[in-house]
Amino acid sequence: MAISLDRKTAAIYAGAALLRLLVLVAFPDLSDFLGEQVEISTPISSFKRLQEGLFLYQHGLSPYDGGVYHQAPLLLVIFEILPSALVFVALDLSNAASLHMIAEGLHLPTPRFRKLDGSIIAAAYLFNPFTILSCLGKSTSIFTNTAIIQAVLNAQSGNAFRAMFSLAIGTYLSMYPGLLLPPTLLMILKNKSQSTAGPILIMSYLGALAALLSATLVLTDGFWDFISSCYGAQLTVTDLTPNVGLWWYFFIEIFDSFRDFFIGVFWLHLAGYVGGLTLRLQDQPLFVITSLLGLFAIFKPYPSIADVSLYLGFLPMYSHILPLTRYTFIAASVLLYSTLLGPAFYHLWIYAGSGNANFFYAITLVWSLGLTILVGDTLFAVLRDEWEIERPEMRGKSVRQI
Amino acid sequence: MGLIRNSISRLRKDDPRLLRIPPYLSALCILGGIVWILLLPLNEYSRQTYISENALLPGQVHTYFGGSEQNVFRAYRQELATVLGPASTSSGNVTISKKEERDWENKRSVKIQELFRNAGLKTASQHYSYTSSGETYEGVNVYAVLHAPRGDGTEAIVLLAPLKNIDNDLNTNGVPLLISLARYFKRWSLWSKDIIFLVTPDSFAGPQAWIDAYHSTHDPRTVEDLSLKSGALQAAVCIDYPFEHRFETLHIAYDGINGALPNLDLFNTAVTIASGQMGIGTSIQFQHTYTDRDSQSSYPSRLQTLVRGMASQALGQATGPHSSFMTYHIDAITLTAIGQGWQDEMAFGRTIESICRSLNNLLEKLHQSFFFYLLMQSNRFVSIGTYLPSAMVIAAAYTIMAIYLWVLSGYRVKEKPIVAVKGKAEQSGREKEGDADEQTRPAFEYSPKVEFSPLDRRLVLPITLLAAIHLASLIPLYLLTSLTLKAIPSTFFLLASFTVVLPIILASALPEMPNNTTLPAVAAPTNEQYVLIKSLSLLLLGLFLTVLATLNFSLSMFLGIVCIPLAFVDRNPGGGRASILQYLLLLIFSPTGLAAGLAAYGFFSIGRNDVLVDWLQKLAFGWDVWWSWGVPVGVLCIWLPAWIVGATLVATSWFTVGSTQENPRAVKKLSTSRVR
Repeated sequence: MAISLDRKTAAIYAGAALLRLLVLVAFPDLSDFLGEQVEISTPISSFKRLQEGLFLYQHGLSPYDGGVYHQAPLLLVIFEILPSALVFVALDLSNAASLHMIAEGLHLPTPRFRKLDGSIIAAAYLFNPFTILSCLGKSTSIFTNTAIIQAVLNAQSGNAFRAMFSLAIGTYLSMYPGLLLPPTLLMILKNKSQSTAGPILIMSYLGALAALLSATLVLTDGFWDFISSCYGAQLTVTDLTPNVGLWWYFFIEIFDSFRDFFIGVFWLHLAGYVGGLTLRLQDQPLFVITSLLGLFAIFKPYPSIADVSLYLGFLPMYSHILPLTRYTFIAASVLLYSTLLGPAFYHLWIYAGSGNANFFYAITLVWSLGLTILVGDTLFAVLRDEWEIERPEMRGKSVRQI
Repeated sequence: MGLIRNSISRLRKDDPRLLRIPPYLSALCILGGIVWILLLPLNEYSRQTYISENALLPGQVHTYFGGSEQNVFRAYRQELATVLGPASTSSGNVTISKKEERDWENKRSVKIQELFRNAGLKTASQHYSYTSSGETYEGVNVYAVLHAPRGDGTEAIVLLAPLKNIDNDLNTNGVPLLISLARYFKRWSLWSKDIIFLVTPDSFAGPQAWIDAYHSTHDPRTVEDLSLKSGALQAAVCIDYPFEHRFETLHIAYDGINGALPNLDLFNTAVTIASGQMGIGTSIQFQHTYTDRDSQSSYPSRLQTLVRGMASQALGQATGPHSSFMTYHIDAITLTAIGQGWQDEMAFGRTIESICRSLNNLLEKLHQSFFFYLLMQSNRFVSIGTYLPSAMVIAAAYTIMAIYLWVLSGYRVKEKPIVAVKGKAEQSGREKEGDADEQTRPAFEYSPKVEFSPLDRRLVLPITLLAAIHLASLIPLYLLTSLTLKAIPSTFFLLASFTVVLPIILASALPEMPNNTTLPAVAAPTNEQYVLIKSLSLLLLGLFLTVLATLNFSLSMFLGIVCIPLAFVDRNPGGGRASILQYLLLLIFSPTGLAAGLAAYGFFSIGRNDVLVDWLQKLAFGWDVWWSWGVPVGVLCIWLPAWIVGATLVATSWFTVGSTQENPRAVKKLSTSRVR
């Protein structure tokens, strides 16, 4: 499926690329500044840390020496060859193009659904301030985002093995996309033109993952170093640098004897949504993935605004449920407020010295609350939509939970 | 519980009476916020200051600065007088060449260094030159470090005396006092923190250059590196004694750049030592200029002090050489000798000695006491918990209006087909009978006459318009900070005149927008979209004010107050006198109006016609050198865009022939008539 290149589409893509490149060229310091903001770059997605790893790698040392670099070695190879600014802009554009194609090919079984204009979806992704900021701040989460979007695109268009391979890349880069396996499989299997059996797909996913991991052996000799600092750091949350998530403060405060238990609880919580959502919303696997991305942006160990930008990239495809949502204004205001108050409170805490860590943590709670409202509200709207299909006579009537 | 919920949900459904509440609630919030501030000076809401950090022990030591030190002081003053050169004539009518000025500058720095060296201290100097608005500010900082006999050089205290104070008066006694203190301190063995003695040529650029270089955040092309450094700075005390006779009281300046404040403990220490130990009166915020000087604890003078403090915090400009230190989270104050009295320079020196001894005791950085406070007397304050709600409530007023307008924009009001004709006849009969009847009528008899049909909100145009206006507000900001002094007056006159007519231009252009097919989202706005524009603009305003309140409370408060008309003006389709009045009101409460007021005040009351240019230059200097962003960003990027949106909406009254029936404002009219 190709994108029809009319003037509007061309203008959107060219405008987005021009905006990014112009800012990168005109304000070279801005990129470094944004790259140091805790909302944009986390220990597992910071470009600065990647440069540190790259330096070690280019000098023949293990990139994981020094305990700063927590990302996959594949990224080192990419940035060894290519200029970073172009990579980030190109990935943003390709993500937008993929979302464009997903939206064009989307058909949902509900009377509210109207055929989507893919270029609007792409524009919503490209001109989302969160996307722009994380692109300018060179957050390497974008690679994981690309992998996820590619997986969804290929699952939708029936390329089962490519979807599995994309998901394996995502898992290899930052682990949590592995949780998207059930809804992606569901999406592939629901596709009528698809004949491959589920177990084979799972095997291909695992095979791809194993191949990627073994490729690491070629790149770096410290395989266990890689496992422990790339995945271990995410599993056991060793680096407690502040971020917009809920983990860092909790694990700073907790007594060491409870640490393992609560890490288990937090991960269980993160993984717990997958099964329930996949079963309940079987008919709409794309919405399962969208909601899960929203939940990951709240509950994963090192979330950043790049994760939110991915969620907000998928969400506009469900604009038809907007009339059924109830709290969009509240959610949007809460997100707006916390977006601006977050950096202000961080400044008060770190630079002005007149605030403390609780200021910033309170705002990350509000931020998570805003996202939770958004995820919950859209889930409600989709369920309500399903219900109205089942019982058309209840359309427009108010419901009350008993 | 269920009953309440039922009644609430019945109300929620379609009672237009609910929709009438928010504007009043919003007005109430604003009123509440202002009244709150006015209550603060009362005894019930403010507190007596106290020392939180026990290690400070202010005034617990004997001070020995005096006796023969006075002769040393006089000798230093004589020596310095020989190198002051033309700088001593502060009137500035002696024009000297750049080269000559530089010669004197060098002579001075060599002399001061020599004096420090003779006292047995290591010295160094630092050249700097800043450019702002096309003017160059350059000079040489001289400083000396006294290494602590009992310390390890990881912590230091700064004593600073500028050659010229913030009013550009020559600091005649202050600098010799600093040098004699240096000589005196050197003989003591009890210092556990390094003491840095710093002499800067002025009070605004010099301290900034030094503190930047001390933390290596300077631009090495314009500001020289420091060749001599010490440990982490704990506190700074600046000495300002701009005359030779004896003084009466000490004035303590404490506000820093961007409204940052030093820890209240430092301020308290200075007040306790000056008034308790030395018997010198203290004042803040130029209390000595009040007409009624003696009753500092009366309500009017407390309020005046409070408002002056807030104004100075809102401006975010330096109020003394100490202000630059606050950016780096170093607590600092300036002590200025004022008045004609019987306190001599030795008493001033002893005060500084005692403060240094207290700071010397510190085991950790000052952190116990408050960082956010408003002082209304040198021993009374209100803390953040007490005053912050006022600014937040004002910011909330805008958010309430935004939510209200958001709700309005989502529905179109229709008249319901009238079911009970009898009820209507009865009602019109009641209307004549007057209000007395209204009370007796049970509330639930009410059945809604209007019907709300939900609308899809079309957000693209409002969001685009607001984003464009906010982005455009960066242009005046850029102009302010990069233009030269010559170009500023004409440019800003043009800009100011342009902002007066811009809303009218926008308002006339909006309904003319083509209904083109390539961008269907950007067509002429409907009535609902106008409401949406206002809603989103107020939402942003409330949001910015809230964020600003956490960074610079006073600025947020003042902006919140001048923006009040924006929340309540509205479109009056059909034009008429109301919209002209509203536009005039907006013009008065606008950045342009403020500038015009300032210029008129300068012209009629001070007799100078360059007050406005002076202020613009000051703001530009603040931006370029101090990174003081408060007022430029607050006025140009928060107030101006919100004002342009508000004024545009008022101006659209003259360009649309809207049908009132479709306007959500009709809700008000309908519901008013219904309830009556």
